[in-house]
Amino acid sequence: MYRNYAKQEGFNKEVGLTVRLVSMDSSPPSLDAEDTVISDEALLIAIGNNQDIDAFNQLFKRFSKKIFALGMKLTRNEQLANDLIQEALLNVWQKAPLYDLDKGSGKGWIFTLSRNRCFDMLRKQKRQPNCIRADDIWPLESGAEPTLVHEDKGGQEVELSLIEGYFDKLSDPQRAVVEQIYLKDRTHEEAAAYLQIPLGTLKSRLRLGVAKLRNLIGVDQ
Amino acid sequence: MNTEVELHPSTELLNQFVQGELVTGKSVVVSAHMELCTSCSAKAKELQDLAVSSWVDPGNTLEFDQSSEADYSEMVAGIVKSPQMKSEPIKDLVEVEIEVLNRSIKLPKVLAKAVSQGLKWKKVVGGISEAQLFLDNETLCEFIYMAPGCRVPVHTHLGSESTLVLDGSFEDELGEYNASDFIIRDSQHNHQPRSKEGCLCFAVLDSPLKFTEGFARLMNPVNRYKFKKATARVA
Repeated sequence: MYRNYAKQEGFNKEVGLTVRLVSMDSSPPSLDAEDTVISDEALLIAIGNNQDIDAFNQLFKRFSKKIFALGMKLTRNEQLANDLIQEALLNVWQKAPLYDLDKGSGKGWIFTLSRNRCFDMLRKQKRQPNCIRADDIWPLESGAEPTLVHEDKGGQEVELSLIEGYFDKLSDPQRAVVEQIYLKDRTHEEAAAYLQIPLGTLKSRLRLGVAKLRNLIGVDQ
Repeated sequence: MNTEVELHPSTELLNQFVQGELVTGKSVVVSAHMELCTSCSAKAKELQDLAVSSWVDPGNTLEFDQSSEADYSEMVAGIVKSPQMKSEPIKDLVEVEIEVLNRSIKLPKVLAKAVSQGLKWKKVVGGISEAQLFLDNETLCEFIYMAPGCRVPVHTHLGSESTLVLDGSFEDELGEYNASDFIIRDSQHNHQPRSKEGCLCFAVLDSPLKFTEGFARLMNPVNRYKFKKATARVA
């Protein structure tokens, strides 16, 4: 729900003019005539939020030749380039709900999916080991690392050596969890997987561990 | 210090990378460097934006055009029956640290993923250990660990070697290299890497290296054999 809501916000702000064109109108305007008006981004959002088949048809028309050309350039094989149209646009359909405006332009996103599917197709065709996939080489989130929220440099000064001592006073399981989250900057999910404990357990240990640290530092007293 | 050498991938290499033109081994070493180097990752993003603009530019006549206006309605009808994803596929969590002689070294994610297949370390000449990764059938990819104080015999390359320093440092005739540095050596260079403090690298060769001095030359047929074996392996 939240995701959809957030998307709707961006949608209205950045591609608002085109909303009416892709809404589920009972008498849609001639889509071909509007071809140049509706942005790639708006089409992707209509596909992602509403499974809009007309919007998908438009994207297909807009990009299939480009994808074919990309496939020819990278594979020099007409059959593979044709297969790439299918692979890449299937991926666009499947992943459209995951597209958001923060990930950049629609054409850039479609290029990335097409290039990655082509890379994987070629590897498969050349029978290369499948220990690596294109998505590992070009991570989707590259360049957009989430900023740390708990970094607070202007706050109160606490003796660092003391904190180190307090850290040692935590129980082993609590210390392990606090270390994963606050010192290694892992996400809750990553830390739980690393420590091989259920997510719920991780969260409760983290809560207790942080409460104890706060107590020792004297913030709550 | 390193005035003669560029410690990052060239613009040309980055451009080939974003366009998906590099073989897997080279793509992996460039990707690993980018994870450690914000300037290259920003540059790659710009290059990709340029590539995308020219990709969609209607004025750019496509090098390859579809021979005919094929009818894709069936393909579209098939695609839209597929379920959509509601969240990113969950990626396998991989251990990102590598143990080398009692040190734990954090690896770039792409390399961590690649080593989840397991590494077999082999001691080669004086203080050097290697562990191969099988990524494609055109390159020889390996982690190279140089123990403190060790030297690689003087050698040159028949093709090119891309090396990413992951931990520690090494130097050769042209300079000193530290963690995250990306070095390309080819047949123009005759060099002897050595490391005072020890060094872990990831290297991708597109042809065997060739020792050029002393008894190490006896290793050359072995190098060629090793390269052939590494690249002949299929999944």
